Amino acid sequence: MAREILPVADRAQVRAYARRLMLKHPGELVLALALHALAAVTGLVTPRLLGELVQDVAGGSAHVRVDVIALAIAGFVAAQAVLTRFAVFASSRLGEKVLAELREDFVDQVLGLPLSTIEGAGSGDLITRTSRDVDALSHTVRRAVPETLIAIVTGSFIVGAVVLVGPVMAVPALIAVPLLWGATRWYLNRARDGYLRENAAYADMTEGLAETVEGSRTIEALGLQRRRHERADRDIARSFAAERYTLGLRLVWFPAVEIGYVIPVVATLLIGGLFYIEGWVSLVQVTTATLYVQQLIDPVDRLLSWVDELQVGGASMARLLGVADVPEDRTPGATRPAGEDLRAVGVRYAYREDRDVLHGVDLEVRRGERLAMVGPSGAGKSTLGRLLAGIHAPRTGSVTVGGVPLVELPIDELRGEVALVTQEHHVFRGTVRENLLIARPEAADADVWRALEAVDAREWVEALGGTLGEGLDTMVGSGGQTVSPAQAQQLALARLVLADPHTLVLDEATSLIDPRAARHLERSLAAVLAGRTVIAIAHRLYTAHDADRVAVVEDGRITELGPHDELVAAGGPYAALWESWHGTAK
Amino acid sequence: MRSLVAGDPGIPDVRGPIGYLWWVARGQTRLILIGIGFAVVWWLGQALVPAALGLAIDALIAKDGDALIWWSGAVLGLGVVQAAAGASRHRMAVYNWLSAAYRTVQVTTRQATRLGATLPKRLSTGEVVSVGNSDIEHIGSSMDILLRGVGAVVAIAVVTVIMISTSPLLGIVVLVGVPMVTAAVGPLLRPLHRRQLRQRDLQGELATRAADIVGGLRVLRGIGGEQVFAARYREESQRVRHAGVRVASVDSMLAGAEILLPGVLIACVTWLAARFALDGRVSAGQLVAFYGYAVFLIAPIRTLTEAADKITKGHVAARRVCHILSIEPEIQDAPELRETLREDPPARHTPSDGVLVDERSGVAVRPGRLTALAAAVPEDAIAIADRLGWYAPGEVTLDGTPLADLPVAWVRGHILVADNEAKLFAGRLRDELDITGSATDEDVRQALYSACAEDIVAALPEGLDAQVAESGREFSGGQRQRLRLARALLADPEILILVEPTSAVDAHTEARIAERLGKARAERTTLVCTTSPLVLDRADLVLFVEDGEVSAEGTHRELLATSSGYRSSVTRGED
Repeated sequence: MAREILPVADRAQVRAYARRLMLKHPGELVLALALHALAAVTGLVTPRLLGELVQDVAGGSAHVRVDVIALAIAGFVAAQAVLTRFAVFASSRLGEKVLAELREDFVDQVLGLPLSTIEGAGSGDLITRTSRDVDALSHTVRRAVPETLIAIVTGSFIVGAVVLVGPVMAVPALIAVPLLWGATRWYLNRARDGYLRENAAYADMTEGLAETVEGSRTIEALGLQRRRHERADRDIARSFAAERYTLGLRLVWFPAVEIGYVIPVVATLLIGGLFYIEGWVSLVQVTTATLYVQQLIDPVDRLLSWVDELQVGGASMARLLGVADVPEDRTPGATRPAGEDLRAVGVRYAYREDRDVLHGVDLEVRRGERLAMVGPSGAGKSTLGRLLAGIHAPRTGSVTVGGVPLVELPIDELRGEVALVTQEHHVFRGTVRENLLIARPEAADADVWRALEAVDAREWVEALGGTLGEGLDTMVGSGGQTVSPAQAQQLALARLVLADPHTLVLDEATSLIDPRAARHLERSLAAVLAGRTVIAIAHRLYTAHDADRVAVVEDGRITELGPHDELVAAGGPYAALWESWHGTAK
Repeated sequence: MRSLVAGDPGIPDVRGPIGYLWWVARGQTRLILIGIGFAVVWWLGQALVPAALGLAIDALIAKDGDALIWWSGAVLGLGVVQAAAGASRHRMAVYNWLSAAYRTVQVTTRQATRLGATLPKRLSTGEVVSVGNSDIEHIGSSMDILLRGVGAVVAIAVVTVIMISTSPLLGIVVLVGVPMVTAAVGPLLRPLHRRQLRQRDLQGELATRAADIVGGLRVLRGIGGEQVFAARYREESQRVRHAGVRVASVDSMLAGAEILLPGVLIACVTWLAARFALDGRVSAGQLVAFYGYAVFLIAPIRTLTEAADKITKGHVAARRVCHILSIEPEIQDAPELRETLREDPPARHTPSDGVLVDERSGVAVRPGRLTALAAAVPEDAIAIADRLGWYAPGEVTLDGTPLADLPVAWVRGHILVADNEAKLFAGRLRDELDITGSATDEDVRQALYSACAEDIVAALPEGLDAQVAESGREFSGGQRQRLRLARALLADPEILILVEPTSAVDAHTEARIAERLGKARAERTTLVCTTSPLVLDRADLVLFVEDGEVSAEGTHRELLATSSGYRSSVTRGED
């Protein structure tokens, strides 16, 4: 199956969204920025006072004046500390709020994804977005955004302060700008890919170890020890190569930047000093300007080191926003089904262009009928099942219920008509009851137990939670009690019993259950589902034997169709298969 | 630095965590020593800046242009030294980190393959995988911090000497003040860590909830319940938000304290220094220098705190690694055999191809035949297969020789147990199928045909060159099973034991596999544990096992006719 990758938002969309998000809380934003600005201003007073102090000391002023200045320094430090505290708190609070909105929006979008996308794309891409991208964005919003904002605010004030001290003193401070700018641009242009490669290589290495651990018995059985050692060594070599590349980048960027920091300090001191000797500026001006320029290193450094992170966050945001761009896969019509008969006419379907996997299938399923589909793997059974469940629309032909195409029903209505259960099973994190009530939130415990009984699950659910006998209240799913794949399939079926649609498509829905138990389960399920239409795709022939009719699907076509006994009597390929499966004893 | 990716990691000291860390460090002594050297220079480059700056300011006040140029040059020179030494130190730090991490991955990988089937019995997967996810990082960091830590100690010592020789009193104020200031934020750290931990936990839960939603999205969109889950997610998301705000309230306090405490100290030092300067005890430049020392010393003292933390974490990680490395495989060559093996090449230990017998169940696998084992209880079949392959102890003989008297490596090469727990590994599909690397294209084609797996390869755009993802997860259960069967057939062992090889495929495919299996294993010894009538019908001989023992044997049809227990087991109560 072609792996569809979900869309990614473009740069303009990300910018627009970021802007909207920022301006959504103007009051809080202004407050946070104003507090940071005030904190930055108070921080600027200390160097100035220190400059005064140096001047006084050089000029031999009175002790009292020195005491006052020292006290003033302490006072401004205290003010700056208090302001910083509130500024950081205000911006963090805003960040958390925005972050929560972001991820909640995203999950809402995910929950609204079209059925065909979910069935088609595989969950890998979506899982990456939910875990890694949400994490990356959290980091950006919590750290990178406030740090860069603070750096910009503080940095601008310091530059402003230098200009105030003496416009002429600002000139030496600027001489390193081209170096910093150039080196950083050079680095950022290469860093992103370098780090992506580095992380990927590192992940390969740890995944390789995980694989070795999980497959240790297989390794022993097949004598793969050497191969695994080689794989680890190869991964390490790749990781090292990637690490060396980024290290090489840093070995250029770090020294360039550090020298870029020291040059302005020295230049201000030297040029300012020469100006002072010439009598063009005062001692206070030189000392203060030098200390300011030194103070400027911190915000510039922060700015440079977080720019990268902002890029990463932007990329993650683009992937999160992209989910909203998935086009709707169905346009509901106004007509509602008259009747419950399911009919497929001339159905063709292709995952890839020019490669039909179904070649004109006609099928009519009567209300309350049990139809089994059998056939070799890759014949198109599951695809046909998905079309009959209204997940995809056929390329040509139609699949209708009561005369209305399934894909023209709004999703809520479709659920009432037909439901699909596949062999993939998922147990949600929560209690057993919660897992089942998804289908019918208002169901009473008695209904839940009845549904569990119908799938032979009552006994083990009652035993859950050990001696506590928590039963329906037992926590299952990730972090809860372990439920075997077979039991998970039973829960999925019980959910379906509760949902109670009039047509069910079961795609190997009991494949993970022990063959002997499966047979019993299918029979008790059949009793509960009496009157419902059931289309069961099965790889065990007794399912076919127990059905009203059997459809043999081969190579995208229905090659045999009819009641089991008739097919056996007809002596075709199905009959041959049945004979050898069942043996000649009967 | 080629040694970083050397093939053989050597034999680690696994007696204890300190021994292990010492073993790691010894393997990279040169890198560590060079790194420490650079770290010392780097720290000193920073430590001396205030002194040079102070002298430059004194020159400035004295209006001494030459001295000003000289000392400004010194500041610049220190900056350059610091940048160059810093880069070299960083390079060594990265190499040390990586070297320690890589060697730990190597020895853990080698240990995992040495343990083989013992590993899942003795360790949880998570325990070993966490080595890769976190322990190697801690061990790497504990090597990295050595460089900066030692450098920091030197830097603190040098600054101390300078300060004391300039002004003993001021020096002592700074020396006492800086550690106090660093320690004073301590009381804030505990609540911060507690709240951070809580936030991380909640965030972890939120991530699990999100993964849960994505994992069950088919169900939610197919049956309903989106609203419930959206609401639940929102509720947990808000909880994370509030936990984040609680972290921020302490964190912002810390941010304030980190300005206030050093600020107050600096104000005090500056005040004292200014008064001393007025009294002529220090110069105006030294006033600026003391300001600079107080600011500078905060960094190396923080580094020492960091070092304590990282070495502790490295120690804990090393203990976990040691635990894993010290486990011994359950099945090993008998001690006397190990002696003989050392003197004698294992070629002699090859019993002629005779019957493989499990005494306990009475199962006898005859050479050159396709035998099937149908067990009334599936667990019996698995237990017997494990004994026959010597994964579990038992009285099993091959041509009369107990397996326990044979070298394990020889038994593994001779008898292959292929069960449904077996993994597919990531890599090029052809390489993953042909594990010996010696099969021809025709062999591969033949094996795929026998396992009915040709359609899987045909559907892949790159065919046999396609990359298999980890555990072959892009394949369905049935596809994986057929690929595993093809792999086992390609391995072509003398004795092949297959456990339920067709449990996940449809009846049509099962019939084809059953038909082709006999031909693929012609003249070879094969045991198939199965209850599928399609497969049983094709076996030369069927053994029916009840209560752990063979209760009947014959062909499928004979047993169907004679044994009612067999009949009900394989036809699943269909009567």
